[in-house]
Amino acid sequence: MTLLTAEALRPRRNWQAIITLVILLVVGFLVILPMVFLVGESLNIGDPMSFPPEAYGIKNYLAILEEDVNVLVNTVIIAVMATVMAIVIGFTLAWILTRTNVPGRDKLERLMELPYYMTPLVGALAWAVIAGPKSGFVNQLWKGAGGSGDLVDVYTYFGIAWVMALFEGTVAFVMIAASMKSMDPALEESARVMGASKLRTTLTVTLPLVMPGVLGASLFVFAEMLGSFAAALVLGIPGRIYVITTAIWDSTLSYPPDYGRASAMGLALFVVMFGMLTFYRRVIARGSFATITGKAFRPRPMDMGRMAWVLFSVCLLYVLLAVVLPIAALVFTSLQRFATVILSQAEFTLANYQTALSLGPVRTAMGNSLMLGFGVASVGVLVMVILVWIIYRSQLVGRGAVEYLVMFPQAVPRLVFGLALLWAWLNIPIPIYGTLWLLALAYFTVMLPLGVRTLAGVVLQIDKSLEECARVCGAGWVYQMRTVTLPLLKPGMLAAWLLIFMACVRELGASVFLMGPNAKVIAPSIVAAFASSGTELTAAMALIQTFTVIVALAILFRLTRGVTKELT
Amino acid sequence: MLAAATAALCAITWAAAASAEGAAKLCDKPRQMEGFKTCADVAKAEAEGNFVLYSTDPEQGQAKLLASFNKVFPKIKTNYVRLQAGALYAKVLSERQAKSYLVDVIQISDMGMILDFQKRGGFTQYISPEMAAFKPEYKSTPEGFWTWGSVIMGGIAYNPKNVAEADAPKKWEDLLDPKLKDGINVKVSNSGLQHGVWYMLKPILGMDYFKKFAEQKPRAFDSYVQQYGRLVDGQDKVIMGAQYSGYIEFKAKGAPLAFVFPETGVPAVSETYGIVADGPHPNAAQLFMDWFLSPVGQQALAEALLLHSPRDDVPAPAGSVPLKDMKLLIPADWNAFEKDRAEFAKEWDRIVGARR
Amino acid sequence: MSVTRIEVRDLVVRYGDQVAVNGVSFTVGRGEHLTLLGPSGCGKTTTLRAIAGLEQPSGGSITIDGQTMYDSAQRRTIPTEQRGVSMVFQSYAVWPHMTVFDNVAYGLRVRKQGADELKANVERALDLVQMRHLADRGASKLSGGQQQRVALARAIAFSPTVVLFDEPLSNLDAKLRAEMRVELRELQRRLGITSVYVTHDQEEALAISDRVIVMNVGVIEQIGTPEEIYNRPRSRFVADFVGSANIIKGKLAGEGVFAAEGGVTLKAVASHRPHGKENEVAIRTAYIDLEPRPGDNHVPGTVRQRLFHGDFVQYVIDSALGPLIVRRPPTNLLDEGVAVTISFSPEHCVLLEA
Repeated sequence: MTLLTAEALRPRRNWQAIITLVILLVVGFLVILPMVFLVGESLNIGDPMSFPPEAYGIKNYLAILEEDVNVLVNTVIIAVMATVMAIVIGFTLAWILTRTNVPGRDKLERLMELPYYMTPLVGALAWAVIAGPKSGFVNQLWKGAGGSGDLVDVYTYFGIAWVMALFEGTVAFVMIAASMKSMDPALEESARVMGASKLRTTLTVTLPLVMPGVLGASLFVFAEMLGSFAAALVLGIPGRIYVITTAIWDSTLSYPPDYGRASAMGLALFVVMFGMLTFYRRVIARGSFATITGKAFRPRPMDMGRMAWVLFSVCLLYVLLAVVLPIAALVFTSLQRFATVILSQAEFTLANYQTALSLGPVRTAMGNSLMLGFGVASVGVLVMVILVWIIYRSQLVGRGAVEYLVMFPQAVPRLVFGLALLWAWLNIPIPIYGTLWLLALAYFTVMLPLGVRTLAGVVLQIDKSLEECARVCGAGWVYQMRTVTLPLLKPGMLAAWLLIFMACVRELGASVFLMGPNAKVIAPSIVAAFASSGTELTAAMALIQTFTVIVALAILFRLTRGVTKELT
Repeated sequence: MLAAATAALCAITWAAAASAEGAAKLCDKPRQMEGFKTCADVAKAEAEGNFVLYSTDPEQGQAKLLASFNKVFPKIKTNYVRLQAGALYAKVLSERQAKSYLVDVIQISDMGMILDFQKRGGFTQYISPEMAAFKPEYKSTPEGFWTWGSVIMGGIAYNPKNVAEADAPKKWEDLLDPKLKDGINVKVSNSGLQHGVWYMLKPILGMDYFKKFAEQKPRAFDSYVQQYGRLVDGQDKVIMGAQYSGYIEFKAKGAPLAFVFPETGVPAVSETYGIVADGPHPNAAQLFMDWFLSPVGQQALAEALLLHSPRDDVPAPAGSVPLKDMKLLIPADWNAFEKDRAEFAKEWDRIVGARR
Repeated sequence: MSVTRIEVRDLVVRYGDQVAVNGVSFTVGRGEHLTLLGPSGCGKTTTLRAIAGLEQPSGGSITIDGQTMYDSAQRRTIPTEQRGVSMVFQSYAVWPHMTVFDNVAYGLRVRKQGADELKANVERALDLVQMRHLADRGASKLSGGQQQRVALARAIAFSPTVVLFDEPLSNLDAKLRAEMRVELRELQRRLGITSVYVTHDQEEALAISDRVIVMNVGVIEQIGTPEEIYNRPRSRFVADFVGSANIIKGKLAGEGVFAAEGGVTLKAVASHRPHGKENEVAIRTAYIDLEPRPGDNHVPGTVRQRLFHGDFVQYVIDSALGPLIVRRPPTNLLDEGVAVTISFSPEHCVLLEA
């Protein structure tokens, strides 16, 4: 009854190989092809708009070294400053929340997620309003209190780095906290048993063990800082500080657009980021100190006595600076005719919101962003599940290549990838340039690493034997996926969906290049508004975006609460 | 007899040439709409249902203008993209290269780019019945490729609350006052108006002026909205080459501002409109041009963006000085103007400390 | 119909550069309970999974009921889901998102059984493991022992002829393990299932198997019944791994005679044809008496250490053969320092293969 005849030898392996090949081709097309175009254009020393390039050469690269050295220097300086600050923030928060008995730990940890809902763009706008020279709120108060000159000026290297660090601090926090949490408490306890004080234990045992995690986080954050765009755009240009991303942006925005130079800069940035991320991966792989085991340790927190309340306020301070203050500043600005913090001079009005909401393009842009988020997340998650399964669970020959391809966009700054897509699709004879389809393709491609990483984490937690057992019971691959794998992945798929949805709605770097009159999305629209409308209107738009996203997410959380309750 | 024959021959040749070049001509029976005449097929335009404009004007103003058009033709939905001149032109060219035809009408404030686009065959010729009201220097020859939609001029603006009457600039040379250092803003090199300001003032004030001006460390911005905003909140003291329409707009909102027309004159350029070849909604584009170039449309423009119309029969925007009362410095040779752009961009970027 | 259910011939399985299974051959008869026993890394689990089709071998052949499941020469391999063998996993692999009923019914549903027949089969299987009363419970809410039973029920629900067991009891505590062991054996006998069982617990292997295959670093050390393995270990490894033994070095000094180091001559037996190079004998600790018995090898010694293990007492006796470990029933305990005579039968002094 159970044994099927040997003639039923279906060529199953060939079928799976075909699927892998198709997926490899599609993903390769989406990921690699634009880069090929970019490389080609970076070597174009003839008319920058002609395709294929009339003449090849490395003049563009040389020109960067000759004319744009200050841009490179600016980029590195700001990235270093921002990384140092972000790591300090992240480390402090991680240490407080995982190693000490600060009160309300769980609630505080949830609060730490909040800055993620603020995009760097909105944050930069807010800090421009708070700390801009002469007219920033802080400086207005300073002048009102009798001070002269400016107390703070956000349009400086430090200002840009500060804003970047505030928002990247959460990422650093998550990474460092993860490595702190997975430390075996027995290591510290044995030091304490031998008589080491709290401080000595921290310095001689905890810190060295956590170092690889911190180093890894530093590399990762540094790579992200190099490719950061929003803060530099809003805060750098008024201060005449250009970094490589804004320089790329600038090159394409004048007539004639210098795509060659922009491509060369983009590739240079990509190479550096790629190097950093490779280095980071090697550090993490070697970090056998804090090994991640199946059972998460709950390290015994140190009793800080009355200091605990001080630490509590430190955490709150971070949330204040990163979330509360910016939102408050933006709300305050958006409700005024001409932004001022001197209440006596303020004229309050709702006109900004009326205008923002009535501006057709804003409504369309918001609608497009939500639609794209919804569509890309839904289709993306399904495709990514299959990709993840192929990479981590199948025996197929090409799966290493698939993993590499899929993670590749992580090393490319979004802006550069947007440029590559722009250049590729300007010259590929399928007219999707300027349409929502191109944006959808772009979003899908740049979200691949995010989605695959999230889903991989979940897939790897599923005991392989659960799937093998299904096969042993006679289930074919499709049946097994449908009845065992996908149901078990549901919570992970949901998490990935939400992450991708949010990332799509906030996307700026790739979108700036690929928008069209009928394909506007919200983040670049806010940037455009910043340039051509007043701060007040821009503040209103930024807040509309932030709250729409939060509302959408809240609705989604409600709807899917049932799913996450099962299978803890 | 020979003279007559020659004259006749000349006439025929000229007519032939004229008809070959200006192959389009004004339609026979322009339709009278409310306040304007049109040669466009209104039914087809409404069937197309959409109209796309790329323009350098601030978003809110474009929205208002297009809303007025939409009020007259509710069936035609409108879309726009706002970019500064250089960026806008770059975008249009890129789209054409990609064979993505997304835009119906473009407005660029730099005549050089307009001429360049015409040379590339980017405009399609459409002779609107309203074009008759425009002087020849305000439209293409042969007409129908592009037409001036408005005239913009750049003077000096400042905030009387931050700049004492005694220190207030009255002529271009006053902007070299060291007290104004680090307090002047200008437009980016992408801007057509800024190019015009440079082009017209350089021969009058000399390169030396601009060298000294660079030492004032002016800051460059993409839009007059930002420029005036910074005057209002005190971040900057003076705008060099301040767009007059921006001054009117902000003044109407109650901002404390003053505008100066230096005796030397105010450089002026045009905001030029044209229908793009192979656009997605050709009939709607024609309809728009007819409406826009008419007194009705020009009036809507004046209300939306406080701009001055080239038409004599359209009054200046409320609260503003009419064109005929200004000493306008307009480039005579647009071809030379176009050739000057590359050098202007390089020099101007250096002055404002932009990348290059 | 042949007597042999499963035939494994010259099986080779590689993991990258490492060879996990290096040329393993054995057969399993119908209704037989065969155990693969060995330390971790010896290749027993890999062999089992290869039979199931979950590992890709590099050489050899696997035949079940006369059908070729894998043959490297013919480049033929049948995928797991078509082999019709059943398996119980070490981690039980009970699907948490289904009920107990759905877990057990899975294989039947795959085979598209009708609803009534399916219900009957599932209930029968659950009855066999006494889990029928929990049929509707979500599988994630079961204890370890309960999950184990469900896994078992699931494995037999579609009446397979072959069931593979991958260390199914190793995650249970000692008492439960001992109980389940017996139940498992009962079930297997009653249903007449051919089973291949993998474990590293030699006690378990000896207790329930018809035959045992001892494996080490990818090769088979010895195949035999539990008694054969225990009483006649062929290699030092088997002697050490299964049960506890004293290994004495020396030289073969004639037929049935072993000259041990330390100058003692022993009477020994061999389960193979000695070729003269053998240099070790194994003496099971349980087979050593501390009072002389006629016919035995006698060696005088002194008690050096005594450890009370509850069910038995273990002595370390110093003697001319070196320190010997002896296990005795836990009565009449001897003190340290007492003089004794070590006594063991020649039958229990086994010459090991060199």
